[in-house]
Amino acid sequence: MVADVDFWLTQFLNGLQLSMLLFLLSIGLTIIFGLMHFVNLAHGALYMVGAYAGVSAAAALGNFWAALLIAPIAVMLVGIFLYAAIIRHMRRAGPMNQVLVTFGLIFVIVDLVRIVWGDIALGMAQPAILSGPAEFLGVVYPAYRLFIIAVGLIVMAALSLVLSRTQIGAMVRAGVENDAMAACLGINVERLFFAVFCVGCALAGLAGAIAAPVFSATPSMATDILIPTLIVVVIGGLGSLRGAIAGSLIVGFIQTFGAVVMPEFASVLVYVLLAAVLIVKPAGLLPARS
Amino acid sequence: MFHQTPLKTFTVAAVIAALALYAILGGYFPREIVIEIALLAILAVSLDFVAGYGGMVSLCHGAIYGIGAYAFAGMTAIGGYDTVTATLVALAAAAAFGLFVGAVAANITGIFFIMATLAFGQMAYVVVFESRALGGDDGLSGIARYDLSAIGIDMNDSLQFALFCLAVVVIAYAAAAYVLRSTFGRTLSGIHSNEDRMRALGLTAWRHKAVAFSFSSMLAGAAGILAAQHTQFVSPELLVWTVSGEVLIVVILGGLGTLAGPIAGAALLVLLKHKIGAYTEHWHLVIGLFLVAAVMAGGRGVYGQIEYWLRQRAGRRADA
Repeated sequence: MVADVDFWLTQFLNGLQLSMLLFLLSIGLTIIFGLMHFVNLAHGALYMVGAYAGVSAAAALGNFWAALLIAPIAVMLVGIFLYAAIIRHMRRAGPMNQVLVTFGLIFVIVDLVRIVWGDIALGMAQPAILSGPAEFLGVVYPAYRLFIIAVGLIVMAALSLVLSRTQIGAMVRAGVENDAMAACLGINVERLFFAVFCVGCALAGLAGAIAAPVFSATPSMATDILIPTLIVVVIGGLGSLRGAIAGSLIVGFIQTFGAVVMPEFASVLVYVLLAAVLIVKPAGLLPARS
Repeated sequence: MFHQTPLKTFTVAAVIAALALYAILGGYFPREIVIEIALLAILAVSLDFVAGYGGMVSLCHGAIYGIGAYAFAGMTAIGGYDTVTATLVALAAAAAFGLFVGAVAANITGIFFIMATLAFGQMAYVVVFESRALGGDDGLSGIARYDLSAIGIDMNDSLQFALFCLAVVVIAYAAAAYVLRSTFGRTLSGIHSNEDRMRALGLTAWRHKAVAFSFSSMLAGAAGILAAQHTQFVSPELLVWTVSGEVLIVVILGGLGTLAGPIAGAALLVLLKHKIGAYTEHWHLVIGLFLVAAVMAGGRGVYGQIEYWLRQRAGRRADA
């Protein structure tokens, strides 16, 4: 079985799919981190809210695609509320206090979700067009999982284009490089941060909604996804798109292939990698600031 | 810098006395709560030692707690050693792990230090979880409690065990306070306020931080030894990172960098948990709101805020 090419190709696709979900989450986190030095541990909780919003929207409207549109918007609204109520006031409070406030927010959001939706895992139907198996390079693979990979790649390409080719992208990069200097040059860094924060929340909601048909929506997904996402951000380097891409591919593949090759120590591998990166190259593999 | 102020002495004495009274007058359940508070208080003191006075916010203190518990459990339940040897080995194991983490992560700062400790803590968790010799996720049972019948203490009695745990809290606090008042502790505070300056003065800062982390880990290991004896059962759940997160919450609620505050914080968190838990299963919601409010109100914690008010009043009186 181990020598089977199809088997490895399937594992490769599994790894890619996990990487794409991690990417959708980590890109928002890393830019917020890099642009405003703001540590938002509640990002995983927003992913969970996205999954539940997707489940409810799909059940109410009977339409998967509408749910895919509504979930990110709903999560963005939650994000805007959090920004106005809490995050805006914590901007200059230092990383330690930000970690603690957003850590408290995880508890609050998870319990609110449990009150509204209950403790049971909620499933979400895949759209009919994506529900069957598909063939990819001669391997039979669920079409829906290929769709997740495609969404991740599209977002990746779109963000790369926006960040490298547009004026907004240039402003974001300038803000990450040196926010004080960017402000001196007339960029409203706070407004830019708010816009980036909204996009980050929407992407977390999108990730939650597209993950829900595969993994179901559960209250534990908020903390389950948080640690891998933070690891991606730290390994890749704060504030860097390329870092988030590289980090999510590395973590996604290590987790997937580690689980196949050495199941007992798959999860330890990622932590070993994290510790190694922190010791050898604390700024991450591809840091935004040179 | 640490000063054993009368307010600190009073707070520790009052909290310990109140808990002792609660254990003596209450039945089995209040005693269990007191033991839970005592274990959390020792952990919180050990975390505050490094986080509040050394600037090293650790998310692996839960793992170190678990290492202490597992070392004690393994030595007594599997190895068949006596409890004294097991205690020494468990303290040494916790201190050695802390020394390793402290030495490797000493030059990492801020959020990256937190992530590094998270990584090492989770490594320990996975190793224990996957280890067949240590029972894997089934855990280990059949752990002996201390035999103190020679001095007339019956550790199998829930009241006497609870009082013993409170005594260890006092010992842990006194040990941490003693070290903080020594030259070593003053140097640690110096590193916290300006590491470059201490290096310029000729100090090998990383070695100092590693030893401080090791000492703190030894205290966390002591809490683990008591935890293993309390339930006479250990499971990998002791090592998971959320335990460290809870300890961090206790330290913040009580007051980071006050040493006495975290003991009050432990009592506050556990009592809140049980009081609210009696009405609703959503006690995390209340704790979460409490934490958000505490940090947004200035992040001094309950004890830290009182200390701050008193100091301001004293300052005003001195001005007038």
